[in-house]
Amino acid sequence: MSGRRPLPLPERVAVTAAGVVTPIGQDLDTFWSGLLTGADGISLVERFPVADLRVGQGGEIKKLTRAVDWRGVPECRATRLLVSAADDLCAQAGGRLLAVEPERLGIVVGTALGGVEEGEHALAGATRRLGRALYDAPGHALARWLGARGPAVTVSTACASGATALGVGADMLRRGEVDAVVAGGYDILCRFVMRGFDSLRSLTRERVRPFDRRRSGLLLGEAAALVFLERERDAGPQRLGTLLGCGSASDAAHIAAPDPEGRGIERAMRAALAEARVDAGDIEFVSAHGTATPLNDRIEAAALRRVLRARADAVPVNSIKGAFGHTMGAAATLEAIVCLLAGRHGQIPATLGLEERDAACDLDCVQGTPRELRPRISLSTSLGFGGCNAALVIESA
Amino acid sequence: MRAPGIRAVGLLSGWGPGVASLPQDAALAARGRAVLAVERPALDPDRFRRSRRECLMGVAAVHAMLEDAGEGPEAIAGERTALLYATVAAYAPSNREFIEARGGSVYFPYTAGAAVPAETAIAFGLTGPYEILVGGAPATMRAIARAAVLLETGACDRALVLAVEVFEECADLFARAPSAFGAPLVEAAACAWLEPGEGLLTFGRRRGRPRDPAARPRLGEMLACEPLAMLGLGRDTGDGGPTRIEGAWRGELARLEWSDSPYRTRPRAA
Repeated sequence: MSGRRPLPLPERVAVTAAGVVTPIGQDLDTFWSGLLTGADGISLVERFPVADLRVGQGGEIKKLTRAVDWRGVPECRATRLLVSAADDLCAQAGGRLLAVEPERLGIVVGTALGGVEEGEHALAGATRRLGRALYDAPGHALARWLGARGPAVTVSTACASGATALGVGADMLRRGEVDAVVAGGYDILCRFVMRGFDSLRSLTRERVRPFDRRRSGLLLGEAAALVFLERERDAGPQRLGTLLGCGSASDAAHIAAPDPEGRGIERAMRAALAEARVDAGDIEFVSAHGTATPLNDRIEAAALRRVLRARADAVPVNSIKGAFGHTMGAAATLEAIVCLLAGRHGQIPATLGLEERDAACDLDCVQGTPRELRPRISLSTSLGFGGCNAALVIESA
Repeated sequence: MRAPGIRAVGLLSGWGPGVASLPQDAALAARGRAVLAVERPALDPDRFRRSRRECLMGVAAVHAMLEDAGEGPEAIAGERTALLYATVAAYAPSNREFIEARGGSVYFPYTAGAAVPAETAIAFGLTGPYEILVGGAPATMRAIARAAVLLETGACDRALVLAVEVFEECADLFARAPSAFGAPLVEAAACAWLEPGEGLLTFGRRRGRPRDPAARPRLGEMLACEPLAMLGLGRDTGDGGPTRIEGAWRGELARLEWSDSPYRTRPRAA
């Protein structure tokens, strides 16, 4: 016997604001309208050389357009993406963020790459940039920009990082370590990661087609996404929703590829549902990882069917990666935000690039036009290198 | 929160295997060496043919922990074991090699921060909750606190907190930022086996530096491995009473305090 006992009901954690910078919009409203209107954020990468790569396309942010005072902010692009998203978050939070005592404001950011581009610059001769190459450097720079003096934590569960960060942030609040947390994820497009995925031949030369029978791989993108978390009893009436549960699990199968049976992501989903005290039958929308690699989408669809059981045919599923690629550390936070906004606005964005659903991805994938539906409880799934799996259960306000 | 009990600790470091190899005075024992490296652990060369040294160090630390516990790998396999991993820079050598184009495509996955815990999870079949924190001693201490929550809520029956730090391949880079790191830099891999324990655990942090850097002179700079090495030292040299450890990184000082001996685990049901 394992001595398992019922999980105590965790204190509810409210999401009171969100801020983003993405290839299809550098504020929450533009991002959302871009998803609904089918904006395409994929283009030829221009910021660094790609001519020697098999694939040179990605979801690149051509210019950071927010009117941020960059004085004192390092030139590091990862940090600047984070600060841009935080600037939007501050605008969306309407002063709530500034009202938190600096010592009681925590920062938790997830990333797959951290400041690795600074390492590229440093090894090319710009040695003063070396200190920013550590993966936790951009998170600490964000804390400084926000004036936060609480814990500044970086998590790196590869492409599930943006979900893990929200779980760690919620834990900080439940233990009373802080009064509010800025949590989320980020990653940039740089030669390091483009060269890496290009060499693995994971990148498609075509368009990104999640769950489509012609899907042939992913494209990478860059983004930062942050949410403002507070204990529900401390949060005001203005909120996007509630983070009900977070679950994680290791595949223990392969260093880069997901477990072919999807058992890790299935365990993560079940753990998130258990923490949320939500039955799979209550799920009304799934914001899927949906990278558009042949393996991921088939595995994820099968795992979702096992978890959702009879409801699998009735739960709409989408992937936002067709719109601007796989944003790695930012992806899971963006997908959590999509769950919240779908509930707020009563629309589920279509999966850009999906035209002919693969029979092996036997789900109710939203395609073509947005679905008119106001999901109350949603599930978001994430898988990453190293067998990292995470899932979030989110309730819309 | 309810305290986790430490059932076993595995440690290998630039000083040698286990806590017993730690010197009384790291600076003196280093004899001017900037980095004390750990040799590539001699594990199954076929199974781990592509694995990097830092990954093998993680696997070896778990083997050392199992030896300390007097258990075999089957005792930790499965979904009821959580794995929480912390590091400052174990990914640095693989990242550097890839940037300098010395690593081929098959090595790209090893550049991920998740590579070390992934190899460890694969080697021992660890399929439970899984988190990776980046940072120095406070990250490892937070991982212990996270493990305490996972144990308390029943999300797992046992939690392994693993930390790995390597310096040799990037010694020239670390040397450019001497103020950020202590000396000597001591490579290490450490793993603690946590189970439900007795008493309470307090985790706190503030801006500042350690008030009581008592263990530091014995360890050298082990970054994320430091708290686990200190817990190993505390068990072997302490009085078995309440234990407090502190650790700092980037101006943050974290503190973990057990109200009872951390080395007592609750008896398991038959």
